[in-house]
Amino acid sequence: MIARQTWAIALNSFREAVRDRVLYNLIAFVLILIASALLFGQISIGIQKTILINIGLSSISVFGLFIAIFLGIGLVYKEIEKRSLYTLLSKPIRRWQFIAGKFLGLNITLLVNTALMSVGLWAALYYLTHQFAPEDVHIWTAIYFILLQFSLVTAVCLFFSCVSTPVLSAVFTILVYIIGSFSSDIRSFGELTESAGMKTATMILYYALPHFDNFNIASRVSHGFPVEARLILLNTVYTIVYACALVILSARIFSSKDLK
Amino acid sequence: MTVSKRKRMFTVCVLAFAASLLVASARVQMAIDREESKASEVPEALLIPSGNVVRKLSMGHDGLMADIYWTRVVQYFGGRLRDRHYEFRLLPQLLNITVTLDPQLMIAYNFGAFFLATPPPYGAGMPKESVALLRRGIEANPDEWRLWHYMGFIYYWELQDYQNAAKAYEEGSKHSKARTWMKVMAAAIRQKGGDREISRFLWSDIYQTTEDETIRENAQKHLETLKALDDIDEIRRVANLFHDQTGRWPQSFEEMSAQGLMQGIPQDPQGFPYVLKSDGEVILNPESTMRPKQDPLSR
Repeated sequence: MIARQTWAIALNSFREAVRDRVLYNLIAFVLILIASALLFGQISIGIQKTILINIGLSSISVFGLFIAIFLGIGLVYKEIEKRSLYTLLSKPIRRWQFIAGKFLGLNITLLVNTALMSVGLWAALYYLTHQFAPEDVHIWTAIYFILLQFSLVTAVCLFFSCVSTPVLSAVFTILVYIIGSFSSDIRSFGELTESAGMKTATMILYYALPHFDNFNIASRVSHGFPVEARLILLNTVYTIVYACALVILSARIFSSKDLK
Repeated sequence: MTVSKRKRMFTVCVLAFAASLLVASARVQMAIDREESKASEVPEALLIPSGNVVRKLSMGHDGLMADIYWTRVVQYFGGRLRDRHYEFRLLPQLLNITVTLDPQLMIAYNFGAFFLATPPPYGAGMPKESVALLRRGIEANPDEWRLWHYMGFIYYWELQDYQNAAKAYEEGSKHSKARTWMKVMAAAIRQKGGDREISRFLWSDIYQTTEDETIRENAQKHLETLKALDDIDEIRRVANLFHDQTGRWPQSFEEMSAQGLMQGIPQDPQGFPYVLKSDGEVILNPESTMRPKQDPLSR
């Protein structure tokens, strides 16, 4: 019963996102992808395929990130603004279910979005090479890692969405994303400093912040190199654990929120 | 004048005015282009000279940034060659940023090394920087035996450092995928140094394996030069034979033909006739673009 209710919220969030015409950016994306593949084929030497894969994966990542942030920031706030939340909560639904459903809904949106964008990438790849090489299968690993990244961003966004306004949530999420992309530098900084306090602070920061740099394997797969199964497993576990922690925190904050 | 005629007249006037504005904008654009061409003569500089900084700023999109920087290398190199500006100050930096962003981007080492090492007008004439780039490539891609080959080649041809050239071929030959001739090459260079046959073999390999037109053209020119050097040796031999038979140096190729020592006037691979000097010395035609000085034997 609880699972069904949560799933219904997730599906509704997805439908709402589709109505927002978010997915229509895909057409532009595919066109840009093919056009850039043709353009770079003309002006570069010997790495058309590498360029296409890198552009494709980076575009999926950047477009998806924008979608995750700009849909994520309104997840809770919009429902309160439109007062649709009150109708929903008047039913036998727990507040945490609402948060979990919203999180799942945005993840489904991003999954569908990424799947369609990936079709664009594979189509462009086929257009360029007229065949798929066995090592091309590793592109799926990179796409999977991008999805994991989106899931983390969605969780961060949802968290801020529960405690702040949409604009501030966007700013905070972008900042966390940027800092999270530099997380290895935070640790290096701590290793260089002689202050014990600073060492501890940077170490805490290093482990507390989400590690978005874990998912950067686009350059590796663009050369046809495989990704170790252990890394795939560890990144999956990391994302599940970290995202669950944030969703639980968000649900707790939202549950204690005065909605009057 | 009827209303409809007036309207048509008005439309024509508006169109003519818009067209004249477009022409005017084209004139202004020409002036802007002239201004910009002056500005492009200002010494170039890289806004971010560090590959590590670019990598950090790319926030995970370092592969894409490497591709962009590699395209920039190609554009920079090609543009300078096209404009006959043979100073490639930014080339080593651009290549270093590219391989810092993506150390597995083999094309940057394969082509970059030649772009750097080859003397003008085919390259930047920076063989030491080229060797440094290849060393980075070998460090990041220890399985790529061809990088040893390129390094050995640059030591051999551009730096005439036969000891290091032989060492590079020897190191490369240790790889399981390396061609067997790598070992032979190491021994041959160690034994003979700057040998024309070795040069021919190496340039032939570059010619057959490169995908870049500039590098292939350069290799072809060197192969032609080696052929011309062989021709010159042969003509000298025939001139000596003529001297032995007649007691004097031949004054023309026709004289040697009349003596039955050769047929017609010999031409170099570019189609220019060789020049026979009065003392029996044979040289390339001044109009020929071949560069025999590049041959280690004639330096």
